[in-house]
Amino acid sequence: MSLMTMIIKMSEGLGKTCAIFFLTLLFSLPLGMIVALLRMSRVRIVSAITRAVITVLRGTPLMLQLLAVTYGPYYLFGATVARNKLIPVVIAFSINYAAYFAEIYRGGIESIPIGQYEAAEVLGYTKLLTFLRIILPQVIKRIMPSVTNEVVTLVKDTSMAFTVSYQEMFTIGKQIANSQTSFLPFIVAGVFYYLFNVIVDYVMGRIEKRLDYYK
Amino acid sequence: MAEEKTSTPGPSILGIRSLRKSFGELAVLTDISLSVDRGNVVSIIGPSGSGKSTLLRCASFLERADGGDILYDGQYALRDGVYAPKTELNRFRTKFGLVFQNFQLFPHYSVMRNICEAPILHGTDREEARERALTLMRKMGLEGKENAYPYQLSGGQQQRVAIARALAMKPEILYFDEPTSALDPELTGEVLKVIRQLAEEKMTMVVVTHEMPFAKAVSNHVIFMAGGVIVEQGDPLAVFEDPKEERTKQFLRVFER
Repeated sequence: MSLMTMIIKMSEGLGKTCAIFFLTLLFSLPLGMIVALLRMSRVRIVSAITRAVITVLRGTPLMLQLLAVTYGPYYLFGATVARNKLIPVVIAFSINYAAYFAEIYRGGIESIPIGQYEAAEVLGYTKLLTFLRIILPQVIKRIMPSVTNEVVTLVKDTSMAFTVSYQEMFTIGKQIANSQTSFLPFIVAGVFYYLFNVIVDYVMGRIEKRLDYYK
Repeated sequence: MAEEKTSTPGPSILGIRSLRKSFGELAVLTDISLSVDRGNVVSIIGPSGSGKSTLLRCASFLERADGGDILYDGQYALRDGVYAPKTELNRFRTKFGLVFQNFQLFPHYSVMRNICEAPILHGTDREEARERALTLMRKMGLEGKENAYPYQLSGGQQQRVAIARALAMKPEILYFDEPTSALDPELTGEVLKVIRQLAEEKMTMVVVTHEMPFAKAVSNHVIFMAGGVIVEQGDPLAVFEDPKEERTKQFLRVFER
Protein backbone atom coordinates (compact mmCIF):
# COMPACT_ATOMS: atom_id res chain seq x y z
CA MET A 1 0.00 0.00 0.00
CA SER A 2 1.43 3.36 -0.98
CA LEU A 3 1.83 6.21 1.49
CA MET A 4 -0.75 8.19 -0.46
CA THR A 5 -3.34 5.42 -0.12
CA MET A 6 -2.64 5.28 3.63
CA ILE A 7 -3.11 9.00 3.98
CA ILE A 8 -6.36 8.93 2.03
CA LYS A 9 -7.73 5.97 3.96
CA MET A 10 -6.81 7.50 7.28
CA SER A 11 -8.23 10.92 6.41
CA GLU A 12 -11.56 9.20 5.91
CA GLY A 13 -11.53 8.73 9.69
CA LEU A 14 -10.71 12.37 10.37
CA GLY A 15 -14.38 13.32 10.33
CA LYS A 16 -15.00 10.92 13.17
CA THR A 17 -11.95 12.19 15.04
CA CYS A 18 -13.35 15.71 14.68
CA ALA A 19 -16.77 14.48 15.78
CA ILE A 20 -15.32 13.15 19.05
CA PHE A 21 -13.32 16.34 19.52
CA PHE A 22 -16.06 18.88 18.92
CA LEU A 23 -18.88 16.97 20.57
CA THR A 24 -16.74 16.39 23.65
CA LEU A 25 -15.99 20.10 23.91
CA LEU A 26 -19.63 20.97 23.28
CA PHE A 27 -20.80 18.84 26.20
CA SER A 28 -17.87 18.90 28.62
CA LEU A 29 -17.31 22.68 28.73
CA PRO A 30 -20.80 23.48 30.10
CA LEU A 31 -21.02 20.23 32.09
CA GLY A 32 -17.73 21.13 33.76
CA MET A 33 -19.28 24.39 34.96
CA ILE A 34 -22.21 22.55 36.52
CA VAL A 35 -19.80 20.13 38.19
CA ALA A 36 -17.67 23.04 39.44
CA LEU A 37 -20.70 24.73 40.96
CA LEU A 38 -21.78 21.48 42.63
CA ARG A 39 -18.24 21.02 43.89
CA MET A 40 -18.39 24.49 45.47
CA SER A 41 -21.89 23.98 46.86
CA ARG A 42 -22.36 25.05 50.44
CA VAL A 43 -24.41 21.90 50.99
CA ARG A 44 -21.71 19.67 52.42
CA ILE A 45 -23.03 16.38 51.09
CA VAL A 46 -23.32 17.73 47.53
CA SER A 47 -19.76 19.03 47.42
CA ALA A 48 -18.45 15.84 49.08
CA ILE A 49 -20.13 13.56 46.54
CA THR A 50 -19.02 15.74 43.63
CA ARG A 51 -15.51 15.75 44.95
CA ALA A 52 -15.51 11.94 45.20
CA VAL A 53 -16.80 11.59 41.64
CA ILE A 54 -14.11 13.96 40.35
CA THR A 55 -11.46 11.95 42.18
CA VAL A 56 -12.61 8.75 40.47
CA LEU A 57 -12.82 10.36 37.03
CA ARG A 58 -9.37 11.88 37.32
CA GLY A 59 -7.85 8.96 39.16
CA THR A 60 -8.72 6.18 36.70
CA PRO A 61 -7.62 5.84 33.07
CA LEU A 62 -9.80 7.41 30.42
CA MET A 63 -9.36 4.21 28.45
CA LEU A 64 -10.98 2.25 31.25
CA GLN A 65 -13.86 4.71 31.44
CA LEU A 66 -14.27 4.39 27.70
CA LEU A 67 -14.55 0.60 27.99
CA ALA A 68 -16.87 0.88 30.98
CA VAL A 69 -19.29 3.21 29.22
CA THR A 70 -19.23 1.23 25.97
CA TYR A 71 -19.41 -2.33 27.30
CA GLY A 72 -20.53 -1.81 30.90
CA PRO A 73 -24.25 -1.89 30.05
CA TYR A 74 -23.75 -5.21 28.27
CA TYR A 75 -21.97 -6.87 31.17
CA LEU A 76 -24.23 -5.36 33.81
CA PHE A 77 -27.68 -5.63 32.23
CA GLY A 78 -27.08 -7.65 29.09
CA ALA A 79 -27.96 -4.57 27.04
CA THR A 80 -26.86 -4.60 23.43
CA VAL A 81 -23.67 -2.68 22.75
CA ALA A 82 -24.47 0.55 20.91
CA ARG A 83 -23.99 0.07 17.18
CA ASN A 84 -22.85 3.66 16.74
CA LYS A 85 -19.86 3.79 19.04
CA LEU A 86 -19.77 7.58 18.77
CA ILE A 87 -22.41 7.83 21.48
CA PRO A 88 -20.59 5.93 24.26
CA VAL A 89 -17.28 7.47 23.19
CA VAL A 90 -18.61 11.01 23.44
CA ILE A 91 -20.35 10.25 26.74
CA ALA A 92 -17.15 8.86 28.27
CA PHE A 93 -14.98 11.69 26.93
CA SER A 94 -17.44 14.38 27.99
CA ILE A 95 -17.76 13.12 31.53
CA ASN A 96 -14.02 12.66 31.91
CA TYR A 97 -13.17 16.08 30.50
CA ALA A 98 -15.93 17.73 32.50
CA ALA A 99 -14.14 16.58 35.65
CA TYR A 100 -10.93 18.28 34.55
CA PHE A 101 -12.68 21.42 33.35
CA ALA A 102 -14.61 21.58 36.64
CA GLU A 103 -11.39 21.80 38.62
CA ILE A 104 -10.03 24.44 36.26
CA TYR A 105 -13.23 26.47 36.60
CA ARG A 106 -13.17 26.10 40.36
CA GLY A 107 -9.61 27.38 40.53
CA GLY A 108 -10.59 30.33 38.35
CA ILE A 109 -13.72 31.17 40.30
CA GLU A 110 -11.92 30.97 43.63
CA SER A 111 -9.18 33.28 42.37
CA ILE A 112 -11.60 36.19 41.91
CA PRO A 113 -11.40 38.50 44.93
CA ILE A 114 -14.43 38.47 47.21
CA GLY A 115 -14.54 42.26 46.83
CA GLN A 116 -15.81 41.86 43.27
CA TYR A 117 -18.90 40.06 44.58
CA GLU A 118 -19.32 42.67 47.30
CA ALA A 119 -19.04 45.60 44.89
CA ALA A 120 -21.68 44.00 42.67
CA GLU A 121 -23.93 43.25 45.63
CA VAL A 122 -23.84 46.84 46.88
CA LEU A 123 -24.64 48.05 43.37
CA GLY A 124 -27.71 45.83 43.36
CA TYR A 125 -26.61 43.14 40.90
CA THR A 126 -28.51 39.92 41.45
CA LYS A 127 -26.49 36.80 42.27
CA LEU A 128 -26.99 35.47 38.75
CA LEU A 129 -25.99 38.72 37.05
CA THR A 130 -22.97 39.03 39.32
CA PHE A 131 -21.83 35.61 38.21
CA LEU A 132 -22.58 36.03 34.51
CA ARG A 133 -21.37 39.59 34.03
CA ILE A 134 -18.75 40.22 36.67
CA ILE A 135 -17.22 36.91 37.69
CA LEU A 136 -17.43 34.61 34.66
CA PRO A 137 -15.72 36.90 32.13
CA GLN A 138 -12.78 37.35 34.48
CA VAL A 139 -12.67 33.61 35.16
CA ILE A 140 -12.60 32.78 31.45
CA LYS A 141 -9.63 35.07 30.88
CA ARG A 142 -7.71 33.58 33.78
CA ILE A 143 -8.29 29.95 32.87
CA MET A 144 -7.61 30.18 29.14
CA PRO A 145 -4.05 28.76 29.34
CA SER A 146 -5.23 25.76 31.37
CA VAL A 147 -8.19 25.19 29.07
CA THR A 148 -5.89 25.29 26.04
CA ASN A 149 -3.81 22.57 27.69
CA GLU A 150 -6.84 20.34 28.05
CA VAL A 151 -8.03 20.98 24.51
CA VAL A 152 -4.62 20.05 23.11
CA THR A 153 -4.67 16.89 25.19
CA LEU A 154 -8.17 16.09 23.95
CA VAL A 155 -6.98 16.13 20.33
CA LYS A 156 -4.49 13.39 21.13
CA ASP A 157 -6.85 11.52 23.44
CA THR A 158 -9.35 10.98 20.63
CA SER A 159 -6.98 8.22 19.52
CA MET A 160 -8.14 6.18 22.49
CA ALA A 161 -11.39 5.49 20.68
CA PHE A 162 -9.52 2.64 18.97
CA THR A 163 -10.02 0.58 22.16
CA VAL A 164 -13.72 0.32 21.34
CA SER A 165 -13.03 0.04 17.59
CA TYR A 166 -14.65 3.33 16.69
CA GLN A 167 -13.48 3.94 13.13
CA GLU A 168 -11.74 7.25 13.66
CA MET A 169 -8.43 8.15 12.09
CA PHE A 170 -6.13 6.41 14.55
CA THR A 171 -8.20 3.22 14.60
CA ILE A 172 -7.96 3.01 10.82
CA GLY A 173 -4.23 3.74 11.00
CA LYS A 174 -3.74 0.96 13.53
CA GLN A 175 -5.63 -1.49 11.31
CA ILE A 176 -3.49 -0.58 8.32
CA ALA A 177 -0.35 -0.89 10.43
CA ASN A 178 -1.38 -4.39 11.45
CA SER A 179 -2.37 -5.59 8.01
CA GLN A 180 0.65 -4.08 6.27
CA THR A 181 3.10 -4.66 9.14
CA SER A 182 4.20 -1.09 8.70
CA PHE A 183 5.00 1.69 11.14
CA LEU A 184 4.20 4.33 8.56
CA PRO A 185 0.51 4.78 9.56
CA PHE A 186 1.59 5.79 13.05
CA ILE A 187 3.82 8.49 11.63
CA VAL A 188 0.96 9.69 9.45
CA ALA A 189 -1.27 9.75 12.56
CA GLY A 190 1.36 11.73 14.45
CA VAL A 191 1.53 14.32 11.68
CA PHE A 192 -2.28 14.57 11.60
CA TYR A 193 -2.48 15.17 15.36
CA TYR A 194 0.32 17.68 15.23
CA LEU A 195 -1.33 19.67 12.43
CA PHE A 196 -4.66 19.51 14.26
CA ASN A 197 -2.99 20.98 17.34
CA VAL A 198 -1.27 23.70 15.34
CA ILE A 199 -4.77 24.85 14.40
CA VAL A 200 -5.98 24.48 18.00
CA ASP A 201 -3.04 26.55 19.24
CA TYR A 202 -3.75 29.24 16.70
CA VAL A 203 -7.45 29.45 17.55
CA MET A 204 -6.89 29.44 21.31
CA GLY A 205 -4.17 32.06 20.89
CA ARG A 206 -6.64 34.26 19.01
CA ILE A 207 -9.20 33.90 21.78
CA GLU A 208 -6.60 34.74 24.43
CA LYS A 209 -5.58 37.76 22.44
CA ARG A 210 -9.16 38.97 22.23
CA LEU A 211 -9.35 38.81 26.03
CA ASP A 212 -6.15 40.80 26.28
CA TYR A 213 -7.84 44.19 26.34
CA TYR A 214 -7.67 44.40 30.12
CA LYS A 215 -5.45 43.19 32.91
CA MET B 1 -25.69 66.01 42.96
CA ALA B 2 -27.15 64.72 46.22
CA GLU B 3 -30.61 64.92 44.75
CA GLU B 4 -32.99 63.20 47.10
CA LYS B 5 -35.41 60.52 46.13
CA THR B 6 -38.95 60.75 47.32
CA SER B 7 -39.04 58.80 50.54
CA THR B 8 -40.10 59.30 54.07
CA PRO B 9 -38.59 62.58 55.07
CA GLY B 10 -36.87 62.36 58.39
CA PRO B 11 -33.83 63.91 59.85
CA SER B 12 -31.78 60.77 60.08
CA ILE B 13 -31.10 58.59 57.06
CA LEU B 14 -29.17 55.98 58.97
CA GLY B 15 -29.89 54.88 62.50
CA ILE B 16 -27.94 52.20 64.33
CA ARG B 17 -28.88 51.03 67.79
CA SER B 18 -27.06 48.62 70.08
CA LEU B 19 -25.42 46.90 67.15
CA ARG B 20 -23.47 43.73 67.94
CA LYS B 21 -21.24 41.63 65.77
CA SER B 22 -18.75 38.90 66.55
CA PHE B 23 -16.57 36.70 64.41
CA GLY B 24 -16.67 33.45 66.32
CA GLU B 25 -15.47 34.20 69.81
CA LEU B 26 -14.16 37.61 68.89
CA ALA B 27 -16.58 40.45 69.61
CA VAL B 28 -15.87 43.03 66.93
CA LEU B 29 -18.73 45.39 67.68
CA THR B 30 -20.42 45.70 71.04
CA ASP B 31 -23.35 48.01 71.58
CA ILE B 32 -22.79 50.52 68.78
CA SER B 33 -25.36 53.29 68.49
CA LEU B 34 -25.25 56.25 66.17
CA SER B 35 -27.36 58.17 63.74
CA VAL B 36 -26.52 60.08 60.61
CA ASP B 37 -28.59 63.08 59.63
CA ARG B 38 -29.18 64.24 56.08
CA GLY B 39 -26.42 66.43 54.71
CA ASN B 40 -23.99 65.46 57.42
CA VAL B 41 -20.52 64.06 57.06
CA VAL B 42 -19.53 61.64 59.78
CA SER B 43 -15.93 60.51 60.15
CA ILE B 44 -15.10 57.33 61.98
CA ILE B 45 -11.57 57.18 63.30
CA GLY B 46 -9.75 54.77 65.54
CA PRO B 47 -6.93 52.23 65.64
CA SER B 48 -6.97 49.30 63.23
CA GLY B 49 -9.03 46.41 64.50
CA SER B 50 -11.37 48.73 66.32
CA GLY B 51 -14.36 47.64 64.22
CA LYS B 52 -14.73 50.72 62.02
CA SER B 53 -14.83 48.84 58.76
CA THR B 54 -17.03 46.12 60.19
CA LEU B 55 -19.49 48.79 61.24
CA LEU B 56 -19.68 50.11 57.67
CA ARG B 57 -19.95 46.58 56.33
CA CYS B 58 -22.85 45.88 58.69
CA ALA B 59 -24.56 49.10 57.61
CA SER B 60 -24.19 48.02 53.97
CA PHE B 61 -25.33 44.43 54.68
CA LEU B 62 -22.00 42.91 53.65
CA GLU B 63 -21.71 41.50 57.16
CA ARG B 64 -24.63 40.13 59.11
CA ALA B 65 -24.93 41.70 62.53
CA ASP B 66 -25.77 39.48 65.50
CA GLY B 67 -28.00 41.92 67.32
CA GLY B 68 -29.34 45.44 67.47
CA ASP B 69 -31.20 47.63 64.97
CA ILE B 70 -30.30 49.20 61.64
CA LEU B 71 -32.76 51.74 60.29
CA TYR B 72 -32.87 53.54 56.98
CA ASP B 73 -35.18 56.55 56.91
CA GLY B 74 -36.71 55.33 60.14
CA GLN B 75 -37.56 51.91 58.69
CA TYR B 76 -36.10 48.74 60.10
CA ALA B 77 -33.59 46.85 57.99
CA LEU B 78 -32.54 45.00 61.11
CA ARG B 79 -34.72 44.86 64.16
CA ASP B 80 -33.40 43.34 67.32
CA GLY B 81 -31.04 41.08 65.39
CA VAL B 82 -33.64 40.02 62.81
CA TYR B 83 -33.25 41.15 59.21
CA ALA B 84 -36.08 42.44 57.04
CA PRO B 85 -37.07 40.21 54.10
CA LYS B 86 -34.77 40.10 51.09
CA THR B 87 -36.92 42.36 48.92
CA GLU B 88 -36.95 44.97 51.67
CA LEU B 89 -33.17 44.77 52.02
CA ASN B 90 -32.83 45.25 48.26
CA ARG B 91 -34.90 48.39 48.56
CA PHE B 92 -32.69 49.67 51.40
CA ARG B 93 -29.64 48.82 49.30
CA THR B 94 -30.63 51.50 46.79
CA LYS B 95 -30.30 54.10 49.54
CA PHE B 96 -26.59 53.73 50.12
CA GLY B 97 -23.42 53.49 48.12
CA LEU B 98 -20.09 52.09 49.25
CA VAL B 99 -16.58 53.02 48.20
CA PHE B 100 -14.04 50.32 49.00
CA GLN B 101 -10.48 50.66 50.14
CA ASN B 102 -9.29 48.67 47.11
CA PHE B 103 -11.71 50.34 44.66
CA GLN B 104 -13.10 47.01 43.42
CA LEU B 105 -13.73 48.34 39.96
CA PHE B 106 -14.70 45.71 37.41
CA PRO B 107 -11.44 45.24 35.49
CA HIS B 108 -13.07 43.95 32.32
CA TYR B 109 -15.34 46.97 31.98
CA SER B 110 -14.44 50.36 30.60
CA VAL B 111 -14.77 53.31 32.96
CA MET B 112 -18.07 54.16 31.32
CA ARG B 113 -19.51 50.68 31.72
CA ASN B 114 -18.27 50.49 35.32
CA ILE B 115 -20.28 53.61 36.08
CA CYS B 116 -23.44 53.13 34.06
CA GLU B 117 -24.17 49.41 34.01
CA ALA B 118 -25.77 49.20 37.45
CA PRO B 119 -28.16 52.14 36.85
CA ILE B 120 -29.14 50.61 33.49
CA LEU B 121 -29.81 47.27 35.19
CA HIS B 122 -32.04 49.15 37.59
CA GLY B 123 -34.10 50.54 34.75
CA THR B 124 -32.44 53.84 33.97
CA ASP B 125 -32.63 54.70 30.30
CA ARG B 126 -29.35 53.92 28.55
CA GLU B 127 -28.80 57.41 27.18
CA GLU B 128 -29.70 59.03 30.46
CA ALA B 129 -27.30 56.74 32.33
CA ARG B 130 -24.51 57.63 29.92
CA GLU B 131 -25.22 61.32 30.26
CA ARG B 132 -25.19 61.07 34.03
CA ALA B 133 -21.96 59.07 33.93
CA LEU B 134 -20.31 61.74 31.77
CA THR B 135 -21.44 64.47 34.16
CA LEU B 136 -20.07 62.53 37.11
CA MET B 137 -16.79 61.88 35.34
CA ARG B 138 -16.38 65.57 34.62
CA LYS B 139 -17.00 66.26 38.27
CA MET B 140 -14.45 63.69 39.33
CA GLY B 141 -11.86 65.10 36.93
CA LEU B 142 -12.01 62.07 34.67
CA GLU B 143 -12.82 63.73 31.36
CA GLY B 144 -11.85 61.67 28.36
CA LYS B 145 -11.39 58.50 30.38
CA GLU B 146 -14.72 56.87 29.51
CA ASN B 147 -13.14 54.27 27.24
CA ALA B 148 -10.14 53.58 29.46
CA TYR B 149 -9.90 50.36 31.45
CA PRO B 150 -9.18 50.44 35.17
CA TYR B 151 -5.65 49.05 34.77
CA GLN B 152 -4.76 52.06 32.63
CA LEU B 153 -5.58 54.47 35.44
CA SER B 154 -3.66 55.56 38.52
CA GLY B 155 -4.93 54.49 41.91
CA GLY B 156 -6.34 57.94 42.54
CA GLN B 157 -8.21 57.89 39.24
CA GLN B 158 -9.52 54.40 39.91
CA GLN B 159 -10.86 55.48 43.27
CA ARG B 160 -12.56 58.47 41.67
CA VAL B 161 -14.18 56.13 39.14
CA ALA B 162 -15.37 54.04 42.09
CA ILE B 163 -16.89 57.14 43.68
CA ALA B 164 -18.59 58.04 40.39
CA ARG B 165 -19.88 54.48 40.10
CA ALA B 166 -21.41 54.70 43.57
CA LEU B 167 -22.90 58.14 42.88
CA ALA B 168 -24.44 56.98 39.60
CA MET B 169 -26.91 54.96 41.67
CA LYS B 170 -28.07 58.21 43.29
CA PRO B 171 -27.56 57.03 46.84
CA GLU B 172 -28.94 59.03 49.72
CA ILE B 173 -25.92 58.20 51.82
CA LEU B 174 -22.43 57.28 50.73
CA TYR B 175 -20.04 55.14 52.74
CA PHE B 176 -16.29 55.28 52.39
CA ASP B 177 -14.19 52.47 53.80
CA GLU B 178 -10.68 53.93 54.15
CA PRO B 179 -10.84 55.39 50.63
CA THR B 180 -7.23 56.53 50.55
CA SER B 181 -5.50 53.73 52.45
CA ALA B 182 -4.53 51.83 49.30
CA LEU B 183 -3.17 54.92 47.57
CA ASP B 184 0.32 56.29 47.27
CA PRO B 185 0.63 59.35 49.50
CA GLU B 186 0.80 61.76 46.56
CA LEU B 187 -2.53 60.47 45.25
CA THR B 188 -4.62 60.77 48.42
CA GLY B 189 -5.12 64.49 47.91
CA GLU B 190 -7.10 64.17 44.69
CA VAL B 191 -9.49 61.67 46.25
CA LEU B 192 -9.96 63.67 49.44
CA LYS B 193 -10.62 66.70 47.29
CA VAL B 194 -13.61 65.13 45.56
CA ILE B 195 -14.99 63.89 48.87
CA ARG B 196 -14.63 67.40 50.25
CA GLN B 197 -16.43 68.72 47.20
CA LEU B 198 -19.28 66.28 47.82
CA ALA B 199 -19.44 67.43 51.42
CA GLU B 200 -19.84 71.01 50.25
CA GLU B 201 -22.78 69.86 48.14
CA LYS B 202 -24.35 68.39 51.28
CA MET B 203 -23.96 64.78 50.26
CA THR B 204 -24.58 62.61 53.31
CA MET B 205 -21.47 60.57 53.98
CA VAL B 206 -19.85 58.27 56.51
CA VAL B 207 -16.09 58.07 56.10
CA VAL B 208 -13.85 55.58 57.85
CA THR B 209 -10.47 57.22 57.62
CA HIS B 210 -6.97 57.59 58.98
CA GLU B 211 -6.64 61.07 57.49
CA MET B 212 -7.03 63.14 60.65
CA PRO B 213 -6.69 66.62 59.12
CA PHE B 214 -9.31 65.62 56.57
CA ALA B 215 -11.70 64.26 59.22
CA LYS B 216 -11.25 67.42 61.22
CA ALA B 217 -11.80 69.77 58.31
CA VAL B 218 -14.59 68.07 56.40
CA SER B 219 -16.83 66.27 58.85
CA ASN B 220 -19.43 67.74 61.14
CA HIS B 221 -19.37 64.76 63.43
CA VAL B 222 -16.49 62.55 64.49
CA ILE B 223 -16.75 59.11 66.05
CA PHE B 224 -13.75 57.60 67.76
CA MET B 225 -13.92 53.82 68.02
CA ALA B 226 -11.68 51.42 69.87
CA GLY B 227 -12.12 47.79 70.78
CA GLY B 228 -15.53 47.53 69.16
CA VAL B 229 -17.15 50.39 71.02
CA ILE B 230 -17.66 54.07 70.38
CA VAL B 231 -15.34 55.65 72.91
CA GLU B 232 -16.11 59.25 72.13
CA GLN B 233 -18.06 61.22 69.57
CA GLY B 234 -19.02 64.75 68.85
CA ASP B 235 -18.08 67.91 67.06
CA PRO B 236 -14.72 67.50 65.28
CA LEU B 237 -13.21 70.45 67.10
CA ALA B 238 -14.23 69.03 70.44
CA VAL B 239 -12.96 65.54 69.69
CA PHE B 240 -9.69 66.65 68.12
CA GLU B 241 -8.83 69.66 70.26
CA ASP B 242 -10.28 68.69 73.57
CA PRO B 243 -10.83 64.91 73.80
CA LYS B 244 -12.45 63.79 77.02
CA GLU B 245 -11.40 60.16 77.03
CA GLU B 246 -7.91 58.92 77.77
CA ARG B 247 -7.99 56.46 74.84
CA THR B 248 -8.90 59.21 72.41
CA LYS B 249 -6.06 61.38 73.68
CA GLN B 250 -3.66 58.48 73.39
CA PHE B 251 -4.76 57.71 69.84
CA LEU B 252 -4.61 61.31 68.66
CA ARG B 253 -1.18 61.84 70.18
CA VAL B 254 0.27 59.43 67.63
CA PHE B 255 -0.82 61.75 64.83
CA GLU B 256 0.70 64.85 66.37
CA ARG B 257 4.12 65.29 64.96
